Amino acid sequence: MSLREPAWRVTARELESSLEEEKGEGERPATYLLSPFGARMNRVLMAGSLSPAESIGREESQTFWRARMSDPTGAVAVTAGSFQPRAMAQLRSASTPRPAVVVGKAHLFRGRDGVGYVSVRAEAVRSVAEAEERAALADIVRHTLDRLDLLDRLEKEPGLTEESLLPQGIPRAWLHAAKESRTRYPNVDRPAFRRELANAVRRVAGESGPSRATLPTPPTVTVTRSPPPRPPLPPPSAAERAEESLFLDQLDGAAEVSADGYADLKEVLARLATQGMAADKAEAILNRLEEEGVIEEPIVGRLRRA
Amino acid sequence: MLSGLLSDGTATVRFTWWDPPREEIERGLVLRAVGAEVREFRGRPELTFSWKTRVGPASPAELPRIDPDTIPFRTVQELRPAEEGFRIEARVVRIAAKSVTVGTERRVVHEGLIADRTGAIALSSWSDFGLKVGEAVRIAGGYVRSFRGRAQLVLDERSSVVRVDGADLPDPAQLLSAPPRTIAQVEDEGGGEAVAVEGLVVGLLPPSGLVFRCPTCRRSIQSGICRVHGQVDGQPDLRARIVLDDGTGALTVNANRGDTEKLWGVTLEEAQARLRSQPDPSLLEEQMLEALLGRRLRVRGVGTRDDFGITVAPESIERVDIDLDAAAEELSARLGTGR
Repeated sequence: MSLREPAWRVTARELESSLEEEKGEGERPATYLLSPFGARMNRVLMAGSLSPAESIGREESQTFWRARMSDPTGAVAVTAGSFQPRAMAQLRSASTPRPAVVVGKAHLFRGRDGVGYVSVRAEAVRSVAEAEERAALADIVRHTLDRLDLLDRLEKEPGLTEESLLPQGIPRAWLHAAKESRTRYPNVDRPAFRRELANAVRRVAGESGPSRATLPTPPTVTVTRSPPPRPPLPPPSAAERAEESLFLDQLDGAAEVSADGYADLKEVLARLATQGMAADKAEAILNRLEEEGVIEEPIVGRLRRA
Repeated sequence: MLSGLLSDGTATVRFTWWDPPREEIERGLVLRAVGAEVREFRGRPELTFSWKTRVGPASPAELPRIDPDTIPFRTVQELRPAEEGFRIEARVVRIAAKSVTVGTERRVVHEGLIADRTGAIALSSWSDFGLKVGEAVRIAGGYVRSFRGRAQLVLDERSSVVRVDGADLPDPAQLLSAPPRTIAQVEDEGGGEAVAVEGLVVGLLPPSGLVFRCPTCRRSIQSGICRVHGQVDGQPDLRARIVLDDGTGALTVNANRGDTEKLWGVTLEEAQARLRSQPDPSLLEEQMLEALLGRRLRVRGVGTRDDFGITVAPESIERVDIDLDAAAEELSARLGTGR
């Protein structure tokens, strides 16, 4: 039996701080985004101020729209493509920021440099009255506090069991999520996060404006977004330079025959393979060239010279 | 070949009799079988009377003697389909007589709901025990079966019902107004007879909106054709299959016309008029979702489980508006920030 994934009530700050994933079980395993604050999300529900959407689709046939969802704790990108036609229509429907409720799938994108970005692929979007946005935010903060309390309890009594929590209305998934959070994010400043939630509570009380009134949010949650800096690379040898120029030649060749001016990564790799360069070697060169700023990959799998 | 159910008071098993006598075997007849075969079917034992088995009439005195006081008590929560040989004390929450056709025969079945402190279970009695709402009863000789995904306690003429004091049994009104519980708990228990949950609307499942129903069987029809009655003159109806989510789980609530009109604020007639000006029926569903998404609802009803989770047939759907000031006060106190 595959139950529908519940919509975890989360603030933008919690989503932004989530950089760990876990694969589910079963025939078609779902992916879960693990937060430092005890959420194990596949589907999420957010409330806040939704900005007008911008088109980020590169092709006519693959429309894709993105908007920013801000609440008093932070902001995340909300996207919708042609596979979510209704959500896409809703996303596109406004020209000014408006209070909204969004239900969608949490998505972690990790760039080649290891930096993680969380976005929400919208399943349903609705503009709401301000009171409704505040009511949904109250629900979000209550659930977030429930999860933080569970983490605190778990710290004091690590032997907490599902059986003891179920009668108190705390589902199995929450305990599992709390345990995972504690392992994956051992050093998280939960009191700081609580302080940020106070901004959300002020919004529930109607004391602050609809968008991020308390900008800028102090970076109090100590979750590192980027990996530690790497030591500088040794200068490339002549042989490496030769490989790079071969790579760039093939990239130019592939870009020439493509419709949008971008070289398809697969195409480039295939061309290099005929020249006798192995795929992992080519990937290494690609990473080096990207790091040096010679080429860029604005769309996954599509390359161009910077 | 003859098949049916055999019971000696300790348990009931299915039986198959390959060459039964020509005269009719009546319900209640006591038989003695020597050399019967036992086999297993879907985890339950079954008896087979073959040519090797000697079967003959016997006297009721030969049946095992059971002291009714030794039959174990069960709570409602412990009752699972195929359970039998138990006693239970419960309060009658609902009871109503209903006339049904069994084969060619018209029979009266008394259907209702009974409950104890642990939960509630549907009751279906083929014998009239004169049950009344509010009565506390001790029941023996019933069995539990699964009917349309719900566990149901079945009583017949062999069952016994005794009125008891039942001081520790819940009051029916209290049971039907119990506070909502988390959807995760409801999922865990596989639904129930008196489910109460509260959550936000996060989506609608098709078909929601305007549907057409067969005038005979009320099934929803496709292109004017009923699965059972063929080409029919469909009757318009409104419905909403609401996905309700409380953050711990999600379930489907099947709202009927009355509830849908109330929640959506659009009547069936208005929906039909809209359909005339915008001939795409999916637009109606879209507009309904727009009106419902994010709404907080409290739902009571009967919850059943299938492969896709829990579905609730609601008895009541209420819109809940929370007091924002009180919520902010409470959350602020929990944060320990004060205001």
